Amino acid sequence: MPQPNGPRRRFLQATGALALTGLAPVIARGQGEPLQLGVLTPLTGAGGFDGPRMAKAMQAVIDEVNAAGGLLGRKVLLVVQDTQTNPEAAVRAARQLIDVTKVPAIMGTWASAVTSAVAPLCWESRTFLTTVSGADSITKLPHQGYLVRTQPNNHLQAGKHAEFIASMGVKRCFMMSIQAPFAEPTQTRATEVLKEKGSQMVGTLIYDKDKTTYRSEVDQALKTNPDLIYLNGYAPDVTILLRELYRASYSGARFAQSYAVTTKVLESLPKGVTEGVITVQPSADVSSPAYELAKKRLGIAEPDSYETQATDWASLVTLSIAKAKLATGTGIRDNVRKICQGGGTKVYSAVEGLKLLAQGRDINYEGASGPCDFTDIGDIIDCKFRYNKVADGKFVLLKVA
Amino acid sequence: MENYLIAMAVSGGIYALMALGVNVMWGFAGMVNLGLVGFFAVGAYASALLTLKAGWSIAGGMAAAAVVAALVGAGVSLVTVRLRGDYLAIVTLGFAETIRIVASNAIPLTNGTDGLSGIPGPYRGALSPEGFNLLYLAIVAMIVTVTYLATERLRASPFGRVLRAIRDDEQVAAVAGKHVLMFKVKAFALGSAALGLAGALYGHYTSYIAPDIFVPLFTLYIKLALLLGGLGNNRGAIVGGFAVVFLLEATRFAIPYVPGISIVQGAAVREFLVAALLLVILRYRPAGIIPERLPRLPVPPEPDRYQPTA
Amino acid sequence: MPALADVGQLVVNGIMAGTILAVPAIGLTAIYAVLRFPNFAVASHATIGAFAGFVANARLDLPLLPSVAIAFAVAGLVGVATDEAVLKRFRPAGYITTAIASIALTIALENVVRFIFGNELRGYDLPIRRDWRLGAIRVGPQQVENLAIAVVTMAALFAFLAFTRTGKAMRAVADNPMLAAIKGINAEAVGRIVSFVGMGLAGLGGMLIGLDTTIDPLTGFRSILSVFAAAVVGGLGSIPGAVVGALTVGVGEELCLLFLSPDYRSAVGFVAILLVLTLRPRGILGQRAY
Repeated sequence: MPQPNGPRRRFLQATGALALTGLAPVIARGQGEPLQLGVLTPLTGAGGFDGPRMAKAMQAVIDEVNAAGGLLGRKVLLVVQDTQTNPEAAVRAARQLIDVTKVPAIMGTWASAVTSAVAPLCWESRTFLTTVSGADSITKLPHQGYLVRTQPNNHLQAGKHAEFIASMGVKRCFMMSIQAPFAEPTQTRATEVLKEKGSQMVGTLIYDKDKTTYRSEVDQALKTNPDLIYLNGYAPDVTILLRELYRASYSGARFAQSYAVTTKVLESLPKGVTEGVITVQPSADVSSPAYELAKKRLGIAEPDSYETQATDWASLVTLSIAKAKLATGTGIRDNVRKICQGGGTKVYSAVEGLKLLAQGRDINYEGASGPCDFTDIGDIIDCKFRYNKVADGKFVLLKVA
Repeated sequence: MENYLIAMAVSGGIYALMALGVNVMWGFAGMVNLGLVGFFAVGAYASALLTLKAGWSIAGGMAAAAVVAALVGAGVSLVTVRLRGDYLAIVTLGFAETIRIVASNAIPLTNGTDGLSGIPGPYRGALSPEGFNLLYLAIVAMIVTVTYLATERLRASPFGRVLRAIRDDEQVAAVAGKHVLMFKVKAFALGSAALGLAGALYGHYTSYIAPDIFVPLFTLYIKLALLLGGLGNNRGAIVGGFAVVFLLEATRFAIPYVPGISIVQGAAVREFLVAALLLVILRYRPAGIIPERLPRLPVPPEPDRYQPTA
Repeated sequence: MPALADVGQLVVNGIMAGTILAVPAIGLTAIYAVLRFPNFAVASHATIGAFAGFVANARLDLPLLPSVAIAFAVAGLVGVATDEAVLKRFRPAGYITTAIASIALTIALENVVRFIFGNELRGYDLPIRRDWRLGAIRVGPQQVENLAIAVVTMAALFAFLAFTRTGKAMRAVADNPMLAAIKGINAEAVGRIVSFVGMGLAGLGGMLIGLDTTIDPLTGFRSILSVFAAAVVGGLGSIPGAVVGALTVGVGEELCLLFLSPDYRSAVGFVAILLVLTLRPRGILGQRAY
């Protein structure tokens, strides 16, 4: 029978007090629960090749931010959900992020249909959405500012790409696209600009992305005798097209988006197949350190368009939250342009920006995928493009224009 | 959290409505429809286009969706009604995929892969998102209840008895003087109406539809909902619909707790869990969670259906 | 009027594609003939075969033919194992339930592959060669190799069915299970063999498809429609029918490029299925297994 003030009781009291003091720092830390941000990206399905890279890029930025002290005194935690490249599944996943995890921002939607499906949920719940999706209709949705797209819209992209192609001396260009909302607008704009610059679009075709062989499509393209073929698709189909073009002994130039011919893709294809391929991605000025910082952060020789855009999303969202001094979608919306546009010291990474913001200074974030200046409807105002060429299985910078 | 649960209940209700419709075709009349998502799509597009482009009211759009889907269903079944069960299954699968491909390419009408945005929802602008969700849940609940009562009436009616007779042995039903063809077509049309209505409900709820939503995987979920709940069983259909949504969402929470794997592996584990759990439930509840209440006479297997002896 | 050479090239492409398609189509139709249900899991077994061959070739540095054999063997073993463990138990519930279970199974297996290998695109460690030009027609050495492997495989299968006891037993069970049972043929054993051979063929087909392209967890899933169309058009359950159907679908998908935009190509598969099943459900060669 324990005595009220016996030795055992005193021992227990002492141990208890010691334990509590030992726990105290833990308890104090526990009060700063992590700041959760949503990542909604394709981990399975047709986009499964692209989602994981974007998530990794975002995680890299967040790791840096956490190492430098976190955001608003809290550690940042990315909560990842799979869109399954299906709008119905993505909507359910978004609801979970918005209503259960209660994130102020969702980053990473890829397929245009997925973004169009998730966007209404986001603006109705005042959650901020960042995306790469290319459909023109997306930024025209009534999103009240709760959406930004770091991918230049088709009009801007297609025009700049066509200018570059013409400047290379190409007289006959052929475009092969997958069936997607960006296919037609890109074809139309590129044809226009090529003509202006003295070149010509000798043909276009839209192919089925699920085919396992494209011999006949390639035949159709080669029949027009092009100097350059623009492969406007994604990695799974573009890798097949590159092989087919090699087999057909096509000696002209091949032009593709950087997300379709990534460093990993170069590793999986024989060097002969990729030799001379030109890739393009949106970029800041050639002098901007943001891209180099992204390279180092990710440990990749040449981060592609999606990886740089994802880097910029994570940076933009964290900087907006820091500027707003609270983690809400409305706060991000109201502050995002304050930290990435206008006057203010240029910064090239989230950590750099956070430091200056803490000192009360104004900043202008310039990203790895471009200057990150957005119109009112969330489109990129303007950006440069980085053109790389593949030589001996590695990327070499051609120019930034 | 409540908003999420209400939204998932709306999803479950839509799945349940589809399961009820498929029950009429499959559970009552024995006709397999592996392309039910195609009728769902037809209803969704019908209602969306009528309300978006022709200014119809939402109620009108939904009614039209049911009618259009019923007509399409009648058409498909008229063409295929003499087909053997497994062939009918394959043709309906082909039909659904053709609808999806047409929707992807008929850009002037359906906006192609871009999809249709801004589909109106009842009182969407006037209510808060939470309020709209609740209202919609009430609407879905009402429609599911009405459909349930209607299909129960159907089951008990002479029409329903004939359907079951046709399902169990078509030749006997024909010999008994029933015009088998017309019964099958009617059953298919009725089931399609429910599917089309579900499609309209989906569109007006989420305000956006696109061809990528109407994929065969969706058909699989509804089939599984019906099998889980018990074929031929209306209450089971409703339970099954909610069960599938529950499974899809519950596995989502499980992923963060599996340590040491990459996010792609986590996503793979989740999809694996959904498929595996469905197989397990199917296996151990072949009669469904709620077995059919009517006494069933043992039906001898058809002579050319081989059954393993063990 | 399209040039004759164009049509010729399309036909050649179609025959090449169709011959490779025939391999998994035979697998699907053989399983249907004996086990009486459409086994949608051929999609994931094609992927499994492709990856097994990849591991053999790119990781273990084996040359092409042993890798192909491994693709066949691994997919076949997985096929038997999953049939025994999963699908067999659904057979008393009817063929539709079993078919639906096979769809769930294929999703599960695809994700096992995704778990192990991730979503990256992989290529086999084989040299890529330029095409040969025979007159106006372009043909690839890789294509010809694949064609040869496919033809040899099919010849071996036909010999197996025609001349070996097991093969004949399989045909007997497919044609008339009751009579086969009376004659003492062990239907279960035959079921296991057909699962092994059928899924093995699916795996081999998956690798052949991957040899020309790249592989990822969705490899099998992308081809399932064409494989299915091939089997149905030729007559579900008929093994020679699968070959005829595959060639028809292969050539048909190419020839339709003459007047349709290439993105309608999957529609061809479905329209083919729709037409055949509504107009002549038993397909080109009808229902006899062999």
